[in-house]
Amino acid sequence: MKKKAMALVMAAATAISLMAGSLSVSAATDPDTSAEKKIKVLSIWAEDSADGKILTGMLDNYTKDVNPNFSYEYEYVSASDLSTKISTLVASNDLPDLFAYSAGVPLRELIQAGKVVNVSEELKAMGDEDKVMDSAKSIMTSLSDTDDLYDLPFGMNIEGFWYNKSVFEDAGVEVPTTWDELLQVCDTLKEKGIQPIATGGSDKWPTTRIVNAYAYRTMGADAVKKACEGETKFTDDGFVAAAQMVADMADKGYFGEGATTVDNTTAEGMLLNGQCAMLYDGSWFTSSITDEETNPSGEDNIGFMGVPVVDESVSEASELPANCGNILCLSQDKYDGAMAGFLQYFVENVGNYAMGDYQSVRGYTYDVDTKDISSVTQTVIDAIADAKTSTAWWEAYMNDETKATAQDNIQSVLNGDMDGAAYMDSIEEAYTISN
Amino acid sequence: MKHVLGNKKAIALFVVPGLILYVGLVFVPVIWSFVYSLYSGTPGLSWSFSGLKNYSKLLIDSKFHESLMVTIRYILTTMLGMVVLGLALAMMYRFWLVKFKNLIRTITFFPVILPTVAVGQLFRKIYEIQPNYGLLNSILDAIGLHDLVQPWIGQASTALGCLSVMDIWVSVGFYAVIFYGGLIDIPDDIIEAAKVDGCSSWQMFKNIIFPLLRPITITCLVFAFAGTVKVFESAIALTNGGPGSATTTLSMYMYNVAFEYRNYGYGSAIAIVIFLICIIGTRIIRFFDVKEA
Repeated sequence: MKKKAMALVMAAATAISLMAGSLSVSAATDPDTSAEKKIKVLSIWAEDSADGKILTGMLDNYTKDVNPNFSYEYEYVSASDLSTKISTLVASNDLPDLFAYSAGVPLRELIQAGKVVNVSEELKAMGDEDKVMDSAKSIMTSLSDTDDLYDLPFGMNIEGFWYNKSVFEDAGVEVPTTWDELLQVCDTLKEKGIQPIATGGSDKWPTTRIVNAYAYRTMGADAVKKACEGETKFTDDGFVAAAQMVADMADKGYFGEGATTVDNTTAEGMLLNGQCAMLYDGSWFTSSITDEETNPSGEDNIGFMGVPVVDESVSEASELPANCGNILCLSQDKYDGAMAGFLQYFVENVGNYAMGDYQSVRGYTYDVDTKDISSVTQTVIDAIADAKTSTAWWEAYMNDETKATAQDNIQSVLNGDMDGAAYMDSIEEAYTISN
Repeated sequence: MKHVLGNKKAIALFVVPGLILYVGLVFVPVIWSFVYSLYSGTPGLSWSFSGLKNYSKLLIDSKFHESLMVTIRYILTTMLGMVVLGLALAMMYRFWLVKFKNLIRTITFFPVILPTVAVGQLFRKIYEIQPNYGLLNSILDAIGLHDLVQPWIGQASTALGCLSVMDIWVSVGFYAVIFYGGLIDIPDDIIEAAKVDGCSSWQMFKNIIFPLLRPITITCLVFAFAGTVKVFESAIALTNGGPGSATTTLSMYMYNVAFEYRNYGYGSAIAIVIFLICIIGTRIIRFFDVKEA
């Protein structure tokens, strides 16, 4: 009898502990703003870069203003080594408390393995759901293919063509609003001996973004996502036409000679120095535009024209490629009250801190005065505000193998070694083999 | 001495420490890689046994085939270039520029000690076409050969050749020094005797110098093969594998698969292929050696 009672008690205790265990997985953690903790931060931003200063500034301010018992160890790793570093840390079950990572397929793997904190759940419990911009939320959940946020934005970028105003004026051309006009402008510039567009073909991604620009303008914002989910094929006519468009533009010499040897920084320099008329780039380019050292001709000489429209019924003019850059994640294993305290402070303050001190939109709401900010930053802010919908970049939904093929072979397209159809065939092949 | 070497314990004392190190540093990683090559996925996230699937994937992966061909072409051109030009330079020190040999030797050896990344950046500038012409295109343009101005490292047809030229430039001084060591070992009286017998320069090279240099040549070939089969950092620094996959070598592809696509199993399978190429290549070179002996 005693044994039976004991067994019952044990069973009840086990059941309760199991329930408590399952509850603790789904329930949010209460922030603890006095707990002693030293966290590890893995970042791809050097401490003296603007991004690094914002991140360390937030960490320092939290220690100074809120929790003096909180400290951190900042480790820098180059962006190209980030995925290797994270996969090694995952394998050894030692993800840092806070780390930079890539949105899309890499993050999805961590979510599926339960390695990262459900940020939405935490923010909801803190009452800070509205601190992350809705546009950032929709980009990030679409990339991770989840309803909840599992990452924090650390940027809010839009992309499109930038142009050198004085080069346009000298050549007597107007800013194009449709893709046909863009091609006409390119022809005119070419005739006048001006390189129409610079593209960082050596870095590869700046050129795939142009394929993406034409693809989403002709096929809709979700074209690449559908192909990556197997709904459509990369060899569909629309994609082939987009790749062929870039091949034709390269063939006509719009990108200049040897575009595959030019990196994006050089291409940016070419636009700023008037060695070309246009450049496709993201809004992170504003930091170079506003820097007198890199742009001696002044920020007013550079304008943003977005992506010319092809068919307004498919994609409206205000719809632009947007992304949150590299994102921040929190390790599930290391997450506790002390970390929750920092998370709360971070989302509540980073928007104002980044805008107030660095004139930078980071994907968080802010209410500081933006009167004194530069005109080019204001253009970006307005474009973000105007965009009701957005699209991702070319490789956003691709797995690593497909992404590498898409990027490597764009150089062959620029060289004329591959036409649009062959380029899209190679992507479809990589997609099929890797899946 | 005979007594010591006849003692098995003494032999073990000499051999075992080195053997343990060698096995630990060479055999264990190779076996480890082989075991990894039988798995798929990423350790810690999705790591599962998949048998020989990675090896069958090698057969249908066109990027693997391309990088294998790039590697073979690179090995053949660069290895030959390094050894032949190294020998030519050494002959120059020995017979032609005897007075300036120290100066020339220092100049040609200098690139060997330069960091690869710096050399890559230097040659990127030499081959540059945009935004400004680099040294090569400027010279071609200045002497009226504008038709030859081209994106040397930006097009598939010339990129691999440009990479080979850069690597030959870097290493040729090293091989020249080794060959020079062999050349000064050839006694003067043999060369004098050949001259007295009316031997022409070509006959002297073919029948006297080259046969005497054969062991050195084999050594240089083995060095050059080992250096070229694992080409990685110079290609990264100059072209980053591009344009397209025109300069993506096997070791670069292995690195990308393992560390960028996080597909360690398939990356290990490619590593095993590189290992086999090393063994086969070295065997082929040693075959010439044995024949001579």
